[in-house]
This record gives sequence, C-alpha cells and structure tokens, in this order.
Amino acid sequence: MIEFQNISKAYDDGTLALQNVNFNVPKGEFCVLLGHSGAGKSTLLNLVSGLTFATSGNVQIDGKILTERSLKSLRKNVSMIHQNFNLALRSSVATNVMSGALSEVPFLQAITGWFPKSIRNKCCDLVAMVGLEQEHLHRRAYTLSGGQQQRVGIARSLILDPLIILADEPIASLDPIISRETLSILRNLAKIKGCTVLCSLHQVELAKDYADRIIGIEEGQVVFDLLPSEVDQQTLNLIYKNYDDPRGNEVWDQAKIKNVVKSLGHNKW
Amino acid sequence: MIKLHRKRFKKPTKDYFLDPNRKEVAWELAPPFGIKSVLILVILSIVLTFSGKKVEVDKMLFMVSEAAVALVGLKDDSQVLDGAHKLISSMLPLQFSETREISRIENFDPEQIPRFTRIIEREISRSVVDPNTLQVSKSVSVTTELYHPFGYLIYVCKKMLETIEIAIWATLFALVISIPLAYFSASNYSPNKISYVVSRATVSFFRAVPELISAMFLVLAFGFGPIAGIMALAIHSAGFLGKFFAEDVENADKGAQRALEAIGVSKLLILRYAVLPQVLPQYVAYSLYILDRNIRMATVIGIVGAGGIGQELKGRYDMFEYGHVATILLMIFITVFILDQISSKIRKRIM
Repeated sequence: MIEFQNISKAYDDGTLALQNVNFNVPKGEFCVLLGHSGAGKSTLLNLVSGLTFATSGNVQIDGKILTERSLKSLRKNVSMIHQNFNLALRSSVATNVMSGALSEVPFLQAITGWFPKSIRNKCCDLVAMVGLEQEHLHRRAYTLSGGQQQRVGIARSLILDPLIILADEPIASLDPIISRETLSILRNLAKIKGCTVLCSLHQVELAKDYADRIIGIEEGQVVFDLLPSEVDQQTLNLIYKNYDDPRGNEVWDQAKIKNVVKSLGHNKW
Repeated sequence: MIKLHRKRFKKPTKDYFLDPNRKEVAWELAPPFGIKSVLILVILSIVLTFSGKKVEVDKMLFMVSEAAVALVGLKDDSQVLDGAHKLISSMLPLQFSETREISRIENFDPEQIPRFTRIIEREISRSVVDPNTLQVSKSVSVTTELYHPFGYLIYVCKKMLETIEIAIWATLFALVISIPLAYFSASNYSPNKISYVVSRATVSFFRAVPELISAMFLVLAFGFGPIAGIMALAIHSAGFLGKFFAEDVENADKGAQRALEAIGVSKLLILRYAVLPQVLPQYVAYSLYILDRNIRMATVIGIVGAGGIGQELKGRYDMFEYGHVATILLMIFITVFILDQISSKIRKRIM
C-alpha cells in the first residue's frame, strides 16, 4: 500500500533527516515507527501526507508515485492524526469532524458551512463510532478532555474513508488507559476496515501490544524491521541508547538520599 | 521512613548527581543590571531635563502647584484658578432653552404652537446712528419669540445621534475595508510578495493619517457634512483594524491549520475553518473598541466641519456662547459614558 523506495530527505538547513529508507507497508497493517525524538519519524509521515517531498527516491501509494502532480488525487486516500489533536478549539465537534471532508465539498457550500447531507450523516456515524455521545456534537472542542479530543481527531481523519491513516504520536499527551483505547481504535481500523495505519510512537510496551510490525528508525535510517514478539532489549538499544541502562529504573535507598542531601548542602544555592 | 530498596541494580558507570568528587562548574550568572544601565538612566534624565525646559514643563509644574496652594487658601491669586473661575462662571447656567423669532419661522400659526413652547415678547434696545444728523439715538424694538424650555437640549441630542450614526457607519465601512486588507497583509496567507507589501503599505498609510487632518481635506472634496466625517473615520480605523486582524491571523495557533493543510484544503477554507473560529472573539473585541473610539473621535472631527456635534460645538465656541458649549460637553460626556458601559457589557458576554 505504502512503499518507500530509497528515500532520502535533506532539509534546507542541511540536516539529513532520512537516508536510504526502503520498506513496504501492505494493506491492512498496523505498522509502528519507533525512534527517539528527531530520528526522522515525523518526516517519514509528512512525506506520505505530501506536506514535504523527498530529496531523492519515491513514495508509492497504491502503486502510484507520489509527486506534486499526483498529490491531489492521492491525498484523499491519506489522512492524518496529530500529536496535539490540532482541532479548531472554538468550533463545535461536528464542524471539526466535517472539516476533514473540506477538500471534497464544493467551495460555495464549504465557505458557508452548508455541508451536504451525506457528510453530515457520516459525521454523526463517526462520532458515535469513536465512542462519543450525541450531546458532544454541538459542544465546542475545547470543552472536551484530551482523550475525547483525540477521538474527534480520529473521526475527522476517517470522514473521507481513507485507505491510509498516518498517526504522528497520537497518544503522546494521553493517560495510559486512554492511550490503550486510542490504539485499539487504530488497530480495529486496520483489522476491520482494512485501513493501512502508519503510526509513530514512543511507548515501546504499547507498541509491542498493539502493532503488527515495528520499525526502528535511528539517524534517518531503518535499523530494524521486526514483529512485535521479536523486539527485545538488544534491538531497542539500537534506537534508544542505553535502553537497558538501569539508571532510569534506579531505586534510591536511605543512604543514597542522605548523600544527595549532603552534596546539596555544599552548594551555594 | 522511605524504604524503596527492592531491586538489585548494576552500578552505573558515572553518576554526575551523586559523585562526591564532582568538580564545580565555572558557570556564572551576570547580575541583572550594572554600570551600563545606570549610565543609560543618567543620559536619559539629562535628555529629559533639556526637553522639559524646552516644552515648559517647569512652568507647568509651577502653575499647577500655585493653583493648588491658592485653592487651599495660602495664596490670593493664581492665573490658572482665575481662568478656571472665569470659564466655569461663563458656562453656568447650562443653556437648555431655545428662542426663535416668530417672524423668521415660516407659516407660523399662533393657534397651534408646538408642545412645551410659549410665546414671549422681548424688548431689544439698540443704539442707532442717524446718517443725516450723525446723532446716536436709542431705539427700542419689541420682538415676539417662541420660547422652548428644552429646545436646545433636543437639538444637541439630535446632533449627538448624528454623531453616533457617523461613528457606526464609519466602523462598518472600516470592517468591510479591513477584512480583505487583513487577508492580503497577513504574511502567511497573502497570495504573493507584492500583494503583501502593497497591502501592508496601505494599512500603514491609513493608520498614519490622523482623522482630523484627513477630515480637513475630505471636507474640501465632499463639502461640509457627515460624508467627510464617515470617510475620515473609516479610513483611519480601517488602518487599525487591518493591522490588528492581520497580526491575529499571523499569530493564530498553527495546529488546526496544519491538520487541514495535510488533507489538501485550500487556503481560503483553512482561513475559514481553522483561523476564523480562533480569532473571532478578538475581532469582535477590536471592533467594539474601534466603535468606542470612533464615537469619541466623531465628536471631535466636527470641528473641521465634518458633521456631528463637533460642528455645533465649534460654532458656539467661536460665538463665545459658553452656556451652549457646556451643554454640548455634558452631552458628550454622558453619551461616551453610557456607550462605554454598553460596550464593556457586550465584551464581557463575548469573551
């Protein structure tokens, strides 16, 4: 469904974001990208959504090469879920969801906010599907909690029946339970509706629980491409330096705390 | 107390936080201000001293304090107090009534005079010079006049209403002009560089011309009356609104815009769905402020003949009719106060 062929991407300021990325995501797969911040995950997603273009190499969607020309026809198959939800906070939930269909609505209807009946019905459908109530439809987006806002974001991304869903750290600001709920929605989309989901994450454990496949990215290169069951501490060391370093898990005892207090006492501050 | 030791762990290779032999770093935080700031303050105060001498700040301070001393009673005469006393005594009593000579009223019917009015007769003595004998003689003529106890107050109210109408129309025109201007002068939405530069220059130009001055020239072009006033106010406030709106659009949160950009929505629709909902409360607040300001300015621009109450004020002032002037001033104060209350109520409800 999505094929990255020898992708390299250099930004204008000279930073090399991606180097010779080659992989293929088949239809209906929930594929997770792991890697520390700045490794190139977001760049990879932006390449698919057409927000940036590769310096060399091709992105193929459904067998068609993504160029500035073909972008318009390919884009309606691709939708994106964002880390900060990126909703228009003062608009209603319904308007937010329907704004996902703006590119397909005639201009005059779009500018007046008079969406076609089919889209309005679909909006109600989707809001129910992601687990919100009818009373939420007319609430302003900022009155919802973070988890609910992300659900609105997901509903918005689904309104045009996309084949590909890109999720850029969709659970970065959500609590553990809502994170799991959000990920299971994404997984169901892949399994039941047959969408191809490409999702970047930071939570290794969640990725292992929900993904079909985990791709590790470091310094703009793919360093591993494994099934979730095959991912272990050693492989994670490739993307997160010292992942098995116990310092992060360190537990302090009384003596150690005393030591710290003493060393702080010497300080002028 | 705290017992957390549960897990065995490898000793980390280097632990900066707990290392007792840790070297102190050679970092330093500069003090918040130093000799440079003091020097700047000294230079600033010297410049201010010279400038104050030039614009007679010292004289102002002297006169004000003299007036204050005289007010308490420690001093007999003060120029300022004398002036104020003269002014206030000439303003009082406020002039509410209006008299009109009956002979000047067309189709006057003594049977049906308007409500509240009554007919009075007044003797006017004039000194007349006889052209043949060159002798001054006093002649007394009696004129019949129609006296209305609140005639002038009603007239001022009408003029005030006209002033408010001028302000409202000016604000409406300013809104209509400034919204497209804002679109073209927001750097992230302007179609190209030229349109950006041109519209920015237009906005700056509109803002740079004070209402009073543009009204002076517009009066020459359109004649005395409210047209010049509306146009002068509209142009100036379009400059303000255009700048504010454009900056709001530029500073609007990028998240929602990015989301719509990613699915290929055109710029105008992004503006409509991602930017407008965000900036609308600000827009309304700015527009209310501009309306408020236009009402105050509309009372002033009449002075150069651009309609409204200012024209009346200027006429009465030039004829030394300070009673009338005081009525107008009172009316302006009341109107601005009431409108201030209303607009702050509206603003509170929107925010």
